[in-house]
Amino acid sequence: MNALTAHHLMVPGRLRDVSLRLGPGRLIGLVGPNGSGKSTLLQALAGLLPAEGEVAWNGQPLGGIPIFDRARQLAWVPQEVQFEFGFSVRSVVAQGRYAHGDDGAGVDEALARMDLTTLAERPVNRLSGGERHRVLLARALATDAPIQVWDEPLAALDVRHALQTLALAHERRATGGTVVMSLHDLRLAHRLDEVVVLHEGALVAHGAPADVLTPSLLREVFGVQACQEPGLTLFL
Amino acid sequence: MSAARSFAERWALPLAIGALAVLMLLALGVGDLWLSPARVWAGLWHHDEVASVIIWNIRMPRMIVACLIGGALSSSGLVMQAYFRNSLASPGLLGVSSGGAAGAVVAIGFGWAAHSILMVPVMAIAGAFVATGAVLVLARSGASTERLLLAGVALNALLGAVTSYVLSNFTLSYERNAQIIFWLMGGLEDRTWEHALMAAPIVLGAVWLLPLGRPMDLLSLGAPEAQSLGVNVCGLRRQMLVLSTVLTALATAVAGTVGFVGLVVPHLLRLVVGPEHRRLVPLSLVGGATFVLACDLAGRAAGNLRLGIVTALVGGPFFLWLLRKRA
Repeated sequence: MNALTAHHLMVPGRLRDVSLRLGPGRLIGLVGPNGSGKSTLLQALAGLLPAEGEVAWNGQPLGGIPIFDRARQLAWVPQEVQFEFGFSVRSVVAQGRYAHGDDGAGVDEALARMDLTTLAERPVNRLSGGERHRVLLARALATDAPIQVWDEPLAALDVRHALQTLALAHERRATGGTVVMSLHDLRLAHRLDEVVVLHEGALVAHGAPADVLTPSLLREVFGVQACQEPGLTLFL
Repeated sequence: MSAARSFAERWALPLAIGALAVLMLLALGVGDLWLSPARVWAGLWHHDEVASVIIWNIRMPRMIVACLIGGALSSSGLVMQAYFRNSLASPGLLGVSSGGAAGAVVAIGFGWAAHSILMVPVMAIAGAFVATGAVLVLARSGASTERLLLAGVALNALLGAVTSYVLSNFTLSYERNAQIIFWLMGGLEDRTWEHALMAAPIVLGAVWLLPLGRPMDLLSLGAPEAQSLGVNVCGLRRQMLVLSTVLTALATAVAGTVGFVGLVVPHLLRLVVGPEHRRLVPLSLVGGATFVLACDLAGRAAGNLRLGIVTALVGGPFFLWLLRKRA
């Protein structure tokens, strides 16, 4: 299964009546201008924000899933996090196993996948922004949750790690997982299965990237001139 | 570094317990009348009458109160730091201790404590909750250091004024100043078994706190993050607030406002064993008791300096050093 559904989801002042069905087994991009409600929608889908309307994971209403079980089904990566305390990279990634009784399973692998093995004993509050983001992604991977919700995972990463992260998302989809990520780079959005476009808190389009990211929609939502080549959006 | 850290992680707690045991022996032996360890032992078992009276009536209750308030204040600081995600949060700096002292003084000043001595800790808890509530309104979790500390400055000034005002109205003039100094700058003089008993629930709070270390690790990196990883954030935060407030209030009810313990001890321990709360919670309980007992002994050795003055002499410069390090 691994599907996320929202029915008339609303967050006053930030999100207006969004209904959608994401997945299962899909790679979904969430795009929209700054302040269009991307982070809010992701947090509401992850059950981390008080919202009106209904959210269901795998057909089960979110309210009926205990918090501990939620953590085994869905992993959320925030856009940014402040690390006040100097936890080691490894211990932060190992937090992903909290809902599994802190069994430490898959932590080394998650560190390796995000190129963090050599940084494993470093304190997180001494890392660069991009490195910190890789730590958060590794923690989400360590949870092994089938639904992964990532808030702008690529924005802080260099091109190699951004492409690696995309490849990883594809891998998870190949094993039946669902990955939802917000992103700003519309060229990368073409590598995903579906794109959801938000504008001023409302859902304005949802479909295959080539069908959705049309010059007219980009003009309407982002106010930019663009032309479309197969599998590519070019800005003029 | 890593080898030193793993050594520290393994041995910090046994070493802290050992240090506490040595200090406890010293606390029972050192004073106007020096008692050798042999006499302390004899006194404990009532084989030496003089030693027995000194130990059981004077030094033992004082030592127990010192250990209890040390563990309470230090672990409260640790909990507040995880709650506010700010390593400068502590009961003294945020004004929670001042709230406890104001509550205790109101209970004494209005004569309620004369009906039941329990009114002192009860009112201290009420006062501390008022201060905690005010801090929550003024500076939410994740608030900037400036906001948190300024809220504390304002609350400390306000609640200190309440304490001084009540004491100036309700105490006899000849003891007024002594009372004001006791509550504003805590101490352990003349602590009796009654005080030790009043502070005894601290032990329950400590036991309650022990299993919260692991979820506190997750919470200290952010509330939504912790919830997404499976922590019941609302429940955990409620427990943390209640525990840190009640522990501070009980400590304040028996010893006045003893500052900086909740700041200095968790910081030193973090430097030694790292930031993981699973280790820090038990260590802060033992380490806090050790620190306060050491400060009390140092104060007694330096001609009966009050405990609050000694902890401020240690903690003030430490706090300034921390501020400089962060800037």
